[in-house]
Amino acid sequence: MENILLKGNLADLESYFNQGGYKPLKKALALKPAEIIEEVKKSGLRGRGGAGFPTGLKWSFIPAGAEGPRYLVCNADESEPGTFKDRELLRKNPHALIEGMAIAGYAIGATHGYIYIRGEFAAEADLLDKAVAAARAKGFIGKNILGSGVNFELFVHRGAGAYICGEETAMLESIEGFKGLPRLKPPFPAVKGLFDCPTVINNVETLAAVPAIIDKGAGWYASIGTPKSSGTKLFCVSGPVNRPGVYELPLGTPFRDLLEKNCGGMKEGKKLKAVIPGGSSVPVLTAEEVWGVKLDYEALALAGSMLGSGGVIIIDDSQCMIKLLGVLARFYHHESCGQCTPCREGCGWIEKLVNRLEDGKGSPADIDTLYSVAEGMLGRTICPLADAMAMPVMSFVKKFRGEFEAHAKGNTCARRAGRVLED
Amino acid sequence: MPKLTIDGKTIEVAKGTTVLEAAQQLGVYIPRYCYHPKLSISGNCRMCMVEIEKAPKLLTACSTEAAEGMVVRTDTEKVKAARRDVLEYLLINHPLDCPICDQAGECGLQDYYMDYSLKPSRFSQEDKVLRPKRRVVGPHLVLDNERCILCTRCVRFCEEVTKTSELGVMERSDKSFIDLKEGKALDNGYTLNIADICPVGAFTSRDFRFKQRVWFLKKTPTICLGCATGCLIEAQHNDNTIYRLMSRPNAETNTWLCDHGRMTYRAVQAGDRLSKGFIKNGMIELEPALREAAARIDEAHAGVAVIGSPWLSVEDNAALARFAKDALKTDNFCFEFDFEQGIKDGILINKDAAPNTAGVRLVKAAHGGVSLEELSRRIMTGQIKVVITEARAAGLIRTALKAAGTRLLVFAMNRSEIPDLAYATLPYSSYFETPGTFVNYQGFRRRTEPSVTAPEGIKPLWAMVNKLAAYSGTSLRLDSPDDALKGIDR
Repeated sequence: MENILLKGNLADLESYFNQGGYKPLKKALALKPAEIIEEVKKSGLRGRGGAGFPTGLKWSFIPAGAEGPRYLVCNADESEPGTFKDRELLRKNPHALIEGMAIAGYAIGATHGYIYIRGEFAAEADLLDKAVAAARAKGFIGKNILGSGVNFELFVHRGAGAYICGEETAMLESIEGFKGLPRLKPPFPAVKGLFDCPTVINNVETLAAVPAIIDKGAGWYASIGTPKSSGTKLFCVSGPVNRPGVYELPLGTPFRDLLEKNCGGMKEGKKLKAVIPGGSSVPVLTAEEVWGVKLDYEALALAGSMLGSGGVIIIDDSQCMIKLLGVLARFYHHESCGQCTPCREGCGWIEKLVNRLEDGKGSPADIDTLYSVAEGMLGRTICPLADAMAMPVMSFVKKFRGEFEAHAKGNTCARRAGRVLED
Repeated sequence: MPKLTIDGKTIEVAKGTTVLEAAQQLGVYIPRYCYHPKLSISGNCRMCMVEIEKAPKLLTACSTEAAEGMVVRTDTEKVKAARRDVLEYLLINHPLDCPICDQAGECGLQDYYMDYSLKPSRFSQEDKVLRPKRRVVGPHLVLDNERCILCTRCVRFCEEVTKTSELGVMERSDKSFIDLKEGKALDNGYTLNIADICPVGAFTSRDFRFKQRVWFLKKTPTICLGCATGCLIEAQHNDNTIYRLMSRPNAETNTWLCDHGRMTYRAVQAGDRLSKGFIKNGMIELEPALREAAARIDEAHAGVAVIGSPWLSVEDNAALARFAKDALKTDNFCFEFDFEQGIKDGILINKDAAPNTAGVRLVKAAHGGVSLEELSRRIMTGQIKVVITEARAAGLIRTALKAAGTRLLVFAMNRSEIPDLAYATLPYSSYFETPGTFVNYQGFRRRTEPSVTAPEGIKPLWAMVNKLAAYSGTSLRLDSPDDALKGIDR
């Protein structure tokens, strides 16, 4: 099928416009806001940031008749290890995002939008600045869009490198100029968000899909993918495959097709051992579990993991699961905002336990401690960062316990490979 | 008015009440660290998690609003496990230095560990995260970041109560630590409240540090005489020594206590506390001092004036008034101080620095007298030869006394209080040593409760007045504060 989001390099306004860009915006401005929301609801579009919440429904949560300003915020703080799909969109198709935001802004009654872009995406932010300026110059955003009387100002806000600012309420704090700490919910952003006003926060990929839905209709979009997971999704594949990269596929595509058809299979001599299918925070699947799985929200949930961000991390049998978990633990330990006790203390503890096992200094009791430390964090914090640490830990220990036990007995990978001198 | 059930007990609460508050009303205690009734909800400690029917996860009781038909359980295995886990997380990087920690005995970590955990540690000592230790942060506080559990009560106190925002959480993850913001010092005048609300030994009082184990302290409820606000306080003492003053939170007057008020106990046991009399700069025994003062009073007779003091209790003022009226039979007395009253900083500190301006009015109502201006005029015109008053009240007419060269007989507690013009100085018991009635700016009439005994020989001021009356050969006799209060509206 034809790609919806990634269609070559459309970074400059002219090439985007020439292939039909900003026509959906004109079409949308002729509709009533409620009609747009209804259309997006019918399309079955779900949040592409990781949670998969129905987009149209999210838009409709803005309280009817809420007075004062409303805001639209785009989450472009793509920082999940293994995830690099939004970066591709920002590079190749920034106008789809800008157009999607103008449509969404009109639909929810927001006259101001923010794109919160990850601090490390400096080049992408420059590109986005140019794209926003170009769109403004042509009157696609700004005051009185295309003579419709609708206003929509768009700001690019650069983050400063904290993973936690990808959590939507920490992002709001950051835009407001505060330290990125997730807020207690309720109140949810739809009621009290940016600057205490009703706010909708959507992922880059979600918003970039909106123009096509308006252009070709909800029915067309819903016909792609599966009944509950409609449309296409960007999958970013990393690991020892022949062609790693970002692929746009209809939801429900078998994992096997992604691996073999798109990525050209495993590199020579590498055997698939495990896959983290949706960014580093989702439970790992073994090769057996993942082989027959379809890549959509429901099938992956059924397999015991999540579609998440679509960051597919391929792990081959030469990789040490303890070492890999150590990488994740170091990341989440470093990125925990430190607000909630279980996450603040648990992430660091987990990193220490995993490192000890990797160094061959752990004991079998450490494996149970590791699991229970993670279990104690699960579902007990303000935001899901603790879950994002706990889920990989619990799934790694459950599914690769043998490797952990070998390490606990001193039989570490480093030792087996002759990299440690016997003492 | 939502009705909810907590641990099988049903209660109807006002809309907006949280589950934690509703449980409190029912007498069900939910452990908490970051929650404080007078601060905003932060929800970070995760200690107050409870099970709520139909909710997939445990919820924090501090931030969950009570709703109609809600069924809450605080005693399930799931809740107990969550509490145990939070305590374990809090303790792994804690230095466990209870033997040298002032908070020991009133520590949230110790108490909850005994109540909800009792689990042996699974964490190795060498893995502990080190944080800054024992830094002086302002005139009254020491901060030990290793003991801190990052509940942010201190940060919120400085943001919401004093609105001075000196503190913030620096860094993130388990490297987070509370610190002063750039260019700030923790000297907002209310800083010792931070040591009070800190649930652990992170913030400790420089004044109290290492002085006494808290379990030895006896607690006497009394009132603060630091200003006209008249906060309810508790004197904590042992072996006839006061170690600290703490707030007794109440709806009428105060939740907090200012640093100035907290330190008022120090004068009582200061090195310059008077236990003898002074004639000019020479210390002499109390009895000869009294005799000398009485001789000057007799000598001046009709030229003696008495001035009350808003720093003295109603009883002691009444004794002075009766001395003027019934012993000296003069109308040269003043019990009238028109100090402007009201909270001056939006928190607690009063425009009126004296604790009993309103109480003195009761004495004036019973006994009359002249205004301070009139009395000053009489001093200036040479009608007055001797003025009897309290040291701080003497300061109010210093110019007149100096100009006229009038003899001053003062009651003082500390040597540093003695006015330079004083001829004779007589000591008296402080209100930590003797009961006294005070009326605060709101009109609440409250009594101090003695917590320690006065230095040997030192008596309440009314009893000193009684002695002075006896030495002067007058007929006034005061055997009790009640005698002094005769004629005063109670």
